[in-house]
Amino acid sequence: MSVIAPNFKLSEFIKSLLDNIFWIILLLVLIGIPAVMMVLFFIEMPVIDGELLTPFLALTWLADPSRILPVIKAFMATDIFRVMAFPGFGFAALLAAGTIFVERKMLAKLQLRVGPFYCGKFEGILQLMGDGLKLISKEIIIPAKADKPIFWAAPVLFVAAAAAFVAFIPVAPGWVVADVEMGLLGVFAVIGFFPIITILSAWSANSKFPFIGGIRALFQMVSFEIPLILSLLGVVMLTGSLNLSQIAASQSSFPWIVFLPVGAIVFFITMLAELERIPFDLPEAESEIVAGWLTELSGMMYGLVQLGTYLKLYAFAALFVVIFLGGWNGPMVVPPFPPELLEGIELGPVVAGPFPGLPLFDQAMLNGTLWFVLKTVAVIFFILLPRGVFPRIRVDMLLNLGWTKLIGLAFVNIFIALGLLYAGVLGPGGLQ
Amino acid sequence: MVGELAGNYSTVVLMFGFAMAAMAPALVISRMISPRKRSNPVKFLPMECGQVPSGEGRTHFMMQYYPYILMFVVFDVMAIFLYAWGSALLEIPKMATLPMMGFLAIMFGAMAFALYQSGRRRIW
Repeated sequence: MSVIAPNFKLSEFIKSLLDNIFWIILLLVLIGIPAVMMVLFFIEMPVIDGELLTPFLALTWLADPSRILPVIKAFMATDIFRVMAFPGFGFAALLAAGTIFVERKMLAKLQLRVGPFYCGKFEGILQLMGDGLKLISKEIIIPAKADKPIFWAAPVLFVAAAAAFVAFIPVAPGWVVADVEMGLLGVFAVIGFFPIITILSAWSANSKFPFIGGIRALFQMVSFEIPLILSLLGVVMLTGSLNLSQIAASQSSFPWIVFLPVGAIVFFITMLAELERIPFDLPEAESEIVAGWLTELSGMMYGLVQLGTYLKLYAFAALFVVIFLGGWNGPMVVPPFPPELLEGIELGPVVAGPFPGLPLFDQAMLNGTLWFVLKTVAVIFFILLPRGVFPRIRVDMLLNLGWTKLIGLAFVNIFIALGLLYAGVLGPGGLQ
Repeated sequence: MVGELAGNYSTVVLMFGFAMAAMAPALVISRMISPRKRSNPVKFLPMECGQVPSGEGRTHFMMQYYPYILMFVVFDVMAIFLYAWGSALLEIPKMATLPMMGFLAIMFGAMAFALYQSGRRRIW
C-alpha cells in the first residue's frame, strides 16, 4: 500500500491547481481563441436554416440546446463525420471490437470452456479493455537487424488498408463513405494491398518464422484472388453496375443468393481464405510456425494488426451482405416518428418546439442500418464458426482447391447468371 | 470530368489517412509509457523457439509452387477483363457474347495446360 508523496500539503496542491487553471485560461484567451478565429476566417461556414453559421451565432446557439441540433445535422452530412464515425471507422471499429469478444466467448462455449470471465461484472465484458491496456503498456521489442521503418509502418498500414476497405461499404441508402462508380474494382484493389503489407512486414523482421508465414500469405492470396474476383461477376452481370450502392438497391425484392448460391458459396470460402481464418490460417499457423507473420510483432503493434484483422473481417462480411444478402433491404420494422416530435409538444399553456432538424436520421436510414447490422452479424457468426469446428488444411491442398475447384465453380456461377439473363428470368423484362 | 471521377475516390484516401493518423499515436503512446530495458542483447534476437538463431533471417527460399504465381499474373488480368464485359452485358447485343465465349474457351485451354504443367513437380 503506497502513500501519497510524504511532503504532500493540501494548500500547495490547491495553489498549483489554481496556477495551472490560471495559465490555461490565459493561454486560451491570448492564443487559443485568436487561433480559432483565424482558422475560422479561412473556412467556408455552412448555411443552416437560411442563416450563415458564424462563430458568434454558434456560440449563441450553445445557450439553447435545441438550436444546436441543425448544426449537428449539418455536421453529420460532412465527409469528416462519415469517415470518423458512422459508416466509417468508428462504426466498423465498434463492430470489430464486438466481434473479438463474441469470438472468444463463442469459441470457449464450443470447446466447453468459459472464456473471458473475471474482467468486468458480467461474463468478462471488460476483457477487451483490459487487453487493450495490457497491450499498450507492453514493451515493443524490435528484432535486431530488422528494417525498422517498414517494420514500424506495417501494422499502421494494415489498419489503414482495412479502413480503406470499409470506406466502400454502403450501410444504409446514401450512407456510404465513398460512393464511387467502380466501387467493386476499388474493393479488389484494396484487397490486393493486404498480402503486400504482410510480406513487407514478414521480410523486414529478419526472422525465419515470419518469412515463411509471409510466403504462405502470398500463396494463399495468389490462389484465392481469382475465384474471389470471378465469384462476384455473376451479380455484376445481372445488375449491370459496379457501384455497391446500386448493387444493394437492386435487391429490393429478392437477394441474389436466391439465384446465385454457387457464387455465394465460392465467395464465402475465398473470404475465409483472404481473412486467414481456419481452415485457411496457414500464414499464422500457430502449431507449425509459432505465429506466422505475427511472430516478431509485440505489444501494441500486435494489437493494431489484430484491430486491422477484425476491421477486415467486418468489411468482408459487409461485402457479402451487400452483394448477396440484399444489404440494407428488409421489411420496415422501425416505427414512424411520433408527430409531436416533429411539430412540437403542447402541454396546457407550455409549448415546446417545433425543433428544427430534430429527426437526425430518417426512418429509412434507421431501418436500413438495423437490417444491415443484423445480416452482417449473422455472416460474422458463420465466419467465426469454422474456427471451432475444422482443422487446418495443407498448402498443396489449398492451392489445388483454389485453382481447380473454386475457379471451376466460379465459372459455373457465371454461366448460371448468363443463362438466367438470356432465358429472360432476370434482367430487363424479367423479375424485378 | 476525369478529375471529378478521380475526386470521388478522395474519401477512400481520407479514410486511409484518418486510420493512419488515429492509429500511429497508439504506437507512440505505447512507446512512451511502456518500459524500455536494453540490458540484454539476447532479448533482441529473432524468435527461434528459445535457441540461439542460426543463419540469416532473409534467406533464399525454395518456392515450390512458383508456377502458380506465374499463372496468377496472367489469369488475374483475365478476371478483371471479364468485368469490363460483365458490367456492360445488359447494353450490348446478345451476339456479342459469342466472341467472349471464344475468349473463355481459349482461356480454359490455357489454364488446363498451365495447371498440368504446374502439377509436374519434377520440372520445377
